[in-house]
Amino acid sequence: MMKNEISIGRLQEIVDAWGASPSRWPEAERSAAEALVAASAEARRLVDEALRLDLLLDAAPVEAPSDALMARLMAARPRPVAAPQRAPETRNRWRGLLEAVWPYGSPAIPAGTLAASIMLGILVGSAGDFSPLAETTIMASEATADDQIIALAMADIDWPEEWMQ
Amino acid sequence: MPRMVALARRMLGNRADAEDVAQEVFLRVWTHAERWQPGRAQFGTWLHRVATNLCLDRLRKRRPENIDDIPEPVSGDPRPDENLERRELAERVEAALQALPERQRLAIVLSHFQGLSNIEAAEILEVSVEAVESLLGRARRQLRETLATERDEVLRINRTGA
Repeated sequence: MMKNEISIGRLQEIVDAWGASPSRWPEAERSAAEALVAASAEARRLVDEALRLDLLLDAAPVEAPSDALMARLMAARPRPVAAPQRAPETRNRWRGLLEAVWPYGSPAIPAGTLAASIMLGILVGSAGDFSPLAETTIMASEATADDQIIALAMADIDWPEEWMQ
Repeated sequence: MPRMVALARRMLGNRADAEDVAQEVFLRVWTHAERWQPGRAQFGTWLHRVATNLCLDRLRKRRPENIDDIPEPVSGDPRPDENLERRELAERVEAALQALPERQRLAIVLSHFQGLSNIEAAEILEVSVEAVESLLGRARRQLRETLATERDEVLRINRTGA
């Protein structure tokens, strides 16, 4: 239930704790607080005061992760399982099919890309069944699996919540 | 991953420990992803919880008698083009942050720096939203007092740097 009005005293408590950005304010009181700020010079003064501390905190950035950490993560990443050996005639049948659609060299290139695309589609499309480890370790192309794992680790802004809803 | 390093860096006060924690977070994600329970927490919140718990474990293992062993906050790689004034200000803000009690610092880190919603921060801290507000209120009051001089300084630096 949204609150329709809040007092200047309550706004002061809010900005003293949560800062000047309405996105951080308690959701139930946000609209009322924003309305008060729009209507009251005293409320705007309180927000400006909180903003000064926000700016001060932002004046202390942290360093970006080091290259050494990236190397450690790469070394520690889970490895894809080896694909089972197929019978020679099965391999030849697949090779013939792939050469028909990819006459430019090793069919491993389109095969890996195709497999990666299918897995990516499954990853993005699956709902309520997210398991990064299980999905990434069965990828057919090792290089692509590595990319996916690192992409997962680096997916800083867009964590894959939408995959799980 | 940079967000996990940032969280740990601000909680632990040094880059080496922060990167160890970030690495541990991702090892756990890779090896224990099944422990994440869909519907109970968003994946990002779950990651923050794992990182937070690892940080708190490290802080608790730091014995008071070994306080001298705790690395001093460092400003990172040399940044020759950065204004000395800004770097000194950043170090004073960092020191004020590190001087906060652990849970107050965690509340500020989760809400202000990590940008989590008040509900997510409450979930990670395992308290109510009202309790988070109380922690934040005390933390910011302490920071305002400690950094009273610097608050004017940051406005001046921002104006001249604009």
